[in-house]
Amino acid sequence: MDSRDRPVPAKADVSLRVPADSAYVSVLRTMTAGLAARLDFTVDDIEDLRIAVGEACALVLPEAVGDGDLVADFRLTPGTLTISVSVPTAGPRTADLDSFAWQVLSTLTSSADAKSDASRFAVTFTTESSMSVAGPGAGG
Amino acid sequence: MTDDASADSGTRGSEERAAWVRLRHRELFGAYRDARAPESARLEARDGLVQLHLPLVEHCARRFRNRGEPLEDLVQVGTIGLIKSIDRFDLERGVEFSTYATPTIIGEIKRYFRDKGWAIRVPRRLQELRMQIASTTAELTQDLGRSPTPRELAASIGCTVEEIIEGIESSNAYSTLSLDAADATGDEGGVSMLDLMGLDDAELEQVEIRESIKPLLEALPPREKRILLLRFFRNKTQAEIAAEIGVSQMHVSRLLTRTLDQLRESLQESV
Repeated sequence: MDSRDRPVPAKADVSLRVPADSAYVSVLRTMTAGLAARLDFTVDDIEDLRIAVGEACALVLPEAVGDGDLVADFRLTPGTLTISVSVPTAGPRTADLDSFAWQVLSTLTSSADAKSDASRFAVTFTTESSMSVAGPGAGG
Repeated sequence: MTDDASADSGTRGSEERAAWVRLRHRELFGAYRDARAPESARLEARDGLVQLHLPLVEHCARRFRNRGEPLEDLVQVGTIGLIKSIDRFDLERGVEFSTYATPTIIGEIKRYFRDKGWAIRVPRRLQELRMQIASTTAELTQDLGRSPTPRELAASIGCTVEEIIEGIESSNAYSTLSLDAADATGDEGGVSMLDLMGLDDAELEQVEIRESIKPLLEALPPREKRILLLRFFRNKTQAEIAAEIGVSQMHVSRLLTRTLDQLRESLQESV
């Protein structure tokens, strides 16, 4: 096992800024999969996360103004990944909690939340690895 | 080889040609494998070998004609097989060069067909890794009682976590799904992807009409409204309605026609 395969340190933050365009969502998904793999998420968790990221983007992207950037913040702690995607907006926005995207997002994640101020709209969600739920020592 | 090569040389005596090819082959191979010769001379000899054995490639490629790929392309990929054979051929083995080269050339052409057949081109390395990941995931899921982590997969397969992620990524592009593909349950008459796709509901338009007709109905005079109600909601005949309201059936008919016309007009205006 080489050094790149070691687990992440206790706390690590990653930010990614991409154009607010759906074409870049796949970049976020790939990034998410990469980070989650480091955190010892299972393959199924990773698949869920990829979908969750896509849905979170589907919620915020239509609200983006002009050629603003989509910012994704990843907070990494052992066994937990918190992802926040946000876009600049022309005013406060609210997430449609009945929408398909929100239903999927809240089902696949441990918690999901939408926040908005006058200039940004952010959807944040947290996912825990099913490894940490299963308890320590389950890993190989 | 000699037969293959001579088949292309037409009227020239096949025996004569075969002898010439064999001689030339030995000569060029000697030059190519001569470690003391300058690089340029060796490469020239290699080029000469490729030229010499091109008829063999053409012969092999012709076997795959009429399979949807241009012959020129097949000759081209077959030539790659030829070059590989020339580079790897062991003179000491004592086998004819054509015996050694033919499977390599045909293998190259077959691989070309296989690669072209994919929906989305994925490198072979990833394709193999993907299959390994799939089978190992199944195994580990059994052993662990849950889906494995990329780290566990990497340890089991003997590659890096990075490669596992790449492999998982590529599997999403490996096969595209036909819209007509049947459901995985495999029963005949299964639900196809296309069946599950959303369509605009045929009744959707009706909703709009119903919603816009509501206020119009409300605005009707009580008698007209009552007639509509009896006719279309209670399913009464015009004669029954006439008796109930106390007018002639003719009159009911006229009122109905007029009311419906009015409704239709107002609907069209509102659209």
